[in-house]
Amino acid sequence: MNAPGGSLLVAEDLKKAYGPTMALDGAAFSIHPGEVVAVMGPSGSGKSTLLHCLAGIVTPDSGSIRYDGQELATMNDARRSLLRRTEFGFVFQFGQLVPELTCVENVALPLRLNGTSRKQAERTALGWMERLEVDDLAKKRPGEVSGGQGQRVAVARSLVTSPRLIFADEPTGALDSLNGERVMELLTEAARSANAAVVLVTHEARVAAYSDREIVVRDGKSRDMERVV
Amino acid sequence: MNVRQWSRDLGLGVRFAFTGGREGWIRAVLTAVGVGLGVAVLLLTTAIPNALAVRHEREEARLDYSFSAEVPRKADDTLLIVETDTTFRDKDVRGRLVEPEGPDAPRPPGVDVYPAQGEMVVSPALKRLLASGGSALLRERLPYRIVGTIGESGLIGSQELAYYAGGSGLAAYLDGDGATRLTAFGNPKPTHEATDPVLVLLILVMIVVLLMPVAVFIAAAVRFGGERRDRRLAALRLIGSDGRMTRRVAAGEAMAGALLGLVAGTGFFLIGRQVAGSVEVLGMSAWPSYLNPSPLLAALVALAVPAAAVLVTLFALRGVVIEPLGVVRTARPARRRLWWRLLLPVGGLAMLYPMIGQGRTNGDFNQYLVTGGVLLLLVGVTALLPWLVETVVARLGSGGVAWQLAVRRLQLSSGTAARMVNGIAVAVAGAIALQMLFAGVDGDYTESTGQDLRRAQLQVTVPEGAPLDATAEKFADTKGVTKVTALWEGYLGDASWESENGPTRTSELTVGDCAALREVAKLPSCKDGDMFVLDGSDYDGDTPVLNKPGTKLYLEEPGGSRDESVWTIPAGVREVPSAKDPRNLKRGGFALTTGALPKSLAASVRGEVYLSVDQSVPDADDHVRNTAFHVDPMASLMTWSATKQDRKYASIRSGLLIGSACVLLLIGASLLVSQLEQLRDRRKLLSSLVAFGTRRRTLGLSVLWQTAIPIALGLLLAMAVGLTLGAILLRMTDTAIRVDWPSVLAMTGFGAAVVVLVTLLSLPPLIRLMRPDGLRTE
Repeated sequence: MNAPGGSLLVAEDLKKAYGPTMALDGAAFSIHPGEVVAVMGPSGSGKSTLLHCLAGIVTPDSGSIRYDGQELATMNDARRSLLRRTEFGFVFQFGQLVPELTCVENVALPLRLNGTSRKQAERTALGWMERLEVDDLAKKRPGEVSGGQGQRVAVARSLVTSPRLIFADEPTGALDSLNGERVMELLTEAARSANAAVVLVTHEARVAAYSDREIVVRDGKSRDMERVV
Repeated sequence: MNVRQWSRDLGLGVRFAFTGGREGWIRAVLTAVGVGLGVAVLLLTTAIPNALAVRHEREEARLDYSFSAEVPRKADDTLLIVETDTTFRDKDVRGRLVEPEGPDAPRPPGVDVYPAQGEMVVSPALKRLLASGGSALLRERLPYRIVGTIGESGLIGSQELAYYAGGSGLAAYLDGDGATRLTAFGNPKPTHEATDPVLVLLILVMIVVLLMPVAVFIAAAVRFGGERRDRRLAALRLIGSDGRMTRRVAAGEAMAGALLGLVAGTGFFLIGRQVAGSVEVLGMSAWPSYLNPSPLLAALVALAVPAAAVLVTLFALRGVVIEPLGVVRTARPARRRLWWRLLLPVGGLAMLYPMIGQGRTNGDFNQYLVTGGVLLLLVGVTALLPWLVETVVARLGSGGVAWQLAVRRLQLSSGTAARMVNGIAVAVAGAIALQMLFAGVDGDYTESTGQDLRRAQLQVTVPEGAPLDATAEKFADTKGVTKVTALWEGYLGDASWESENGPTRTSELTVGDCAALREVAKLPSCKDGDMFVLDGSDYDGDTPVLNKPGTKLYLEEPGGSRDESVWTIPAGVREVPSAKDPRNLKRGGFALTTGALPKSLAASVRGEVYLSVDQSVPDADDHVRNTAFHVDPMASLMTWSATKQDRKYASIRSGLLIGSACVLLLIGASLLVSQLEQLRDRRKLLSSLVAFGTRRRTLGLSVLWQTAIPIALGLLLAMAVGLTLGAILLRMTDTAIRVDWPSVLAMTGFGAAVVVLVTLLSLPPLIRLMRPDGLRTE
C-alpha cells in the first residue's frame, strides 16, 4: 500500500511475532488528520497488535512507523510516552478507568500527567464530560456507573488532551447495541469537531460504519477496503 | 444453620480450589505457602517448651559436680574428672580430662568407651572444626588423638563443641584444685528452680507478642488471591446460588488452601527441624529430636487454622456484593465505628490494671489476666488500625498524580491496606513494649563485674608450681599481649591448715615484681627483696594482729601445710596503703617482691596473671590461651567484661531477638505476596495507564505511597500501644517508667525497613506488569 501524501501516521511492512505466532506479517497502515479509519478483522487476526504498534506501545520486530514524519523506532521509551501523553488518546474495550478515582478525576488524569494543575485539569475534564453527556457522573466512581456511561467517560478521557490521534480498541465491545451506537456517535462527533483522527479497532460492521475508511487485517496482513455505501 | 448445606457448600469450595485451572492452583499454592509458613512457626513454638526441657534434662544428666562435701575414696567405680573448658575465637568449648579409677567408673552420657591418655572423644561439631583449616590454634590446646564421637545424649546442642580427653595423675588436683572424684554423673536430686516472676512475665508477653503477628499473618494468607476468587464466584450467582451460599463456597476454597497450608506447614516444619539441627543462632543449637511439638498444641493448630480460614473469609466477604453478572462491587462500607474497637484495648488495660506492682514483691500475678490483657491490647491494634487508616486517608488532600492515585486507592479500600500492615503494627507494638520492659529490668539482671577493662582484658589462673618469672615472661612474649601483671597469691594462717581447728586468723599473700605490686598498692619505693603489709583493705581485720616480726604463718596449699611452707615475718616489713587491684578490689595481707619470697614457698602460690591485649592482632586471645595451656594444662582463662548478665535473662533476650527476626521476615513475606497479588489484579489497568503515557516513576511512587501511608499510621499506633503496654508492664514489675527511645525508634525503623524492602522487591514485578502485554486480550 502506498502512503498517501499528508498522512499523519504511516506504517509500512510491520512484522511482529509472539513466540511462534506471527501477529503481524507485513501489515501497512496510514491515516490522515481528522480521518476515522476502522481496522477490522476476526479475533486473533492481529488488529489489536497493529493498534499497539501504531501507538508506540509495542515495538514491531521490523517495519517502519512514522508519526508526523518522525520514525517511532528512533524514539526512546520516554519520548514515546510523551507522545502518547500529548498527541494520542486511548479508549479500550473495558474503559480501563482507574477504579479509585472519581469519573472527573479519571478524565483529568492525562492532563495532570502533563503537569496541568488539578483545578484547571478538572475544569477542562468537566467540559468534555458535558459534551459526552456524563457530567452528572463527575463525582461518582467507575464502580458506581453503568458500562455505557463508563465508556463515555473513557472517551472523554481520550479527548481531554485534545489529541491529534485517538486509538480506540473495541470501544463498544462490552456494550449493548444501543449504548454502543451512542458511544460511537459521541466519539466520532467529538473527534471530528476537534479534527482528531481515530484508529478504530473493531470486528463489528455497524461500528466500522462510523469510519471513513476500513482496513481489514487477516493473518497479520492488512488490506485497504473500498467503502461500500 | 443447616449443617448439611454448610458442608455441601464448603465441600464445593474445596473442589473449586483445585479445579480452577492454573489460576486456581496458583491461588491455592500461594495460600498454602503463606499458611504453611505460619503453621511451621506455630509448630516450632509448640515444640520449644519440649526442646528447652530436653536440653535441660541433658545438661542435668551430664553434671559432673560432686554433690557431697566429702571426697569419695578411690574405688572401682570412681572417676577423676577435671574441667578444662576453653574458648576458640568466640565459641565456647566444653572440655573434661577424665581418668577412670576402675572398670566400673561411671561413663558420661554419650560416651561408650573412655579415651586413654593422649586420646579424646569429641562432639561432631568439634570434629568438623578440628578437621577444617584455621583451627590450628585450637588444635594446639587439644593435642589428643580423636578416637570417638560423643553421642547425641551427651550434648545439649548439635553445634556444641565438646570433648572428653584421657588424663593421668589427676588425683594430684583433688582438694579444691580442679579435680573431682565422681561415682555417678548427673544431679541425684534434680530440683526445679523457682522462676523469677519478672522472667515469667517476660516469657508470657514474648509468646503473645510473637504469636499474635503469626495469627494475623495466617488471617492475611487465607485471603491471598481472594479478590480474584470472589470475582470468579460471581458465576455461581448466575446459576442460582444466593449470596450466603457463595460466601460459604468462598470459605470452602479458603479452607482448602488452609488445609494444604497445614500439609505444607508440616513439611516446612520437618525441613526446618532438620535445618535447625545444623545451625547455631546466638550460640544456641538444638538437635532435631528436641523439636517435637506438644501433641495437644499441634492438634489445636490443626483445628484452629482451617477454622480461622473459614471465619476470616466469611468476615472479609461481609462488605463484598457478588452479583450474578460477574461484577463484584465492594459495597460502600459503612463508616467504621470507633466505640467497639476501643473496647478491646480498654478491656486489655482493665485486665492488666490489677496486676500493677504484683510482679515484683511476691510474684503473685495472674498469668491468665496478663496474657489476656496483653492479647486484648494487641488485638486492639488490629481493630483500631482500619479505623485510623480510614479516618486519616479520608482527610488527606490531593497532591501529585502519584499521591492522588495512592490516596484514592486507600480511600476506596482502606481495609486491605490496614490488613497488610496489621502484622507489622502488632509486632512493632509488642516489641516496643518488650524492649521497654527489658530496658527497665536490665539493671536487675545485669551486674557490674568491677573488672576494669582499661587495666586488663584477660585473667589467667595458673595452678601452684609454675615458675614465677618464667611464666610471666612466657605471657609477655605471647603475640598480641601488651601488658602483663603477674601476681602470685596464697593464704597464710596462724596455725597449720591441717591442724584440728585450722588457723584462727588468716591473711592474704601477694607476690610479684615491683611493677605488678604497684597494681595493688601505692608503693613510695620498691626494689626486689622488699616486703610490704597492705593497709586500707575493707575486709582485712586479721593482718594488723598477725603483723609482728617473728610470727610464724602457714601457707595454705593442696595436700596441707608442711613445715617448709611456713613463713616467719621478718623485721622491716613496710606498711603501705592498698590500692584497687585490676578486679577493683582493695586487698589486704602481705605483699612480697619475688626476691623476698622464700624458695620453699614459691611452689605453693597460685598465679593470677592479668593481661592487656591488642585486639587488632588476629586471634590474640587464642594465642594467650595457648600460652596458658603450655604453662599448665589446668590453667584457666577468663575473658573480662564490664558487666555480667543473668543466663536465663540473656537467653530470653536472645529468644526475643530470634523470634522477632523470624516474625518480621514472615510478615515481610506476607506483605510481598499481598502486594504482588494486588499488582497482578491491576495488570490491565497498569498497562493501560502506561499506554496513555503515565510515567513508570509515577506508578512506582504511587505504590510506595500506598504502602507508606498505612505503615506510617500503623507504626504510629504501634508506638502508642507499645509505649502504653511497656509502661504498664514496668509498673507491674514496680520499675520506674522510662522510655528507651533508641530501641523504640530502632523497632519502628525496623518495621519501616521491612516495608521499604517489600516495596523495592515489588518494583521489578510492577515494571513487568506495566508492559503492554497486559493489554492483550486474545
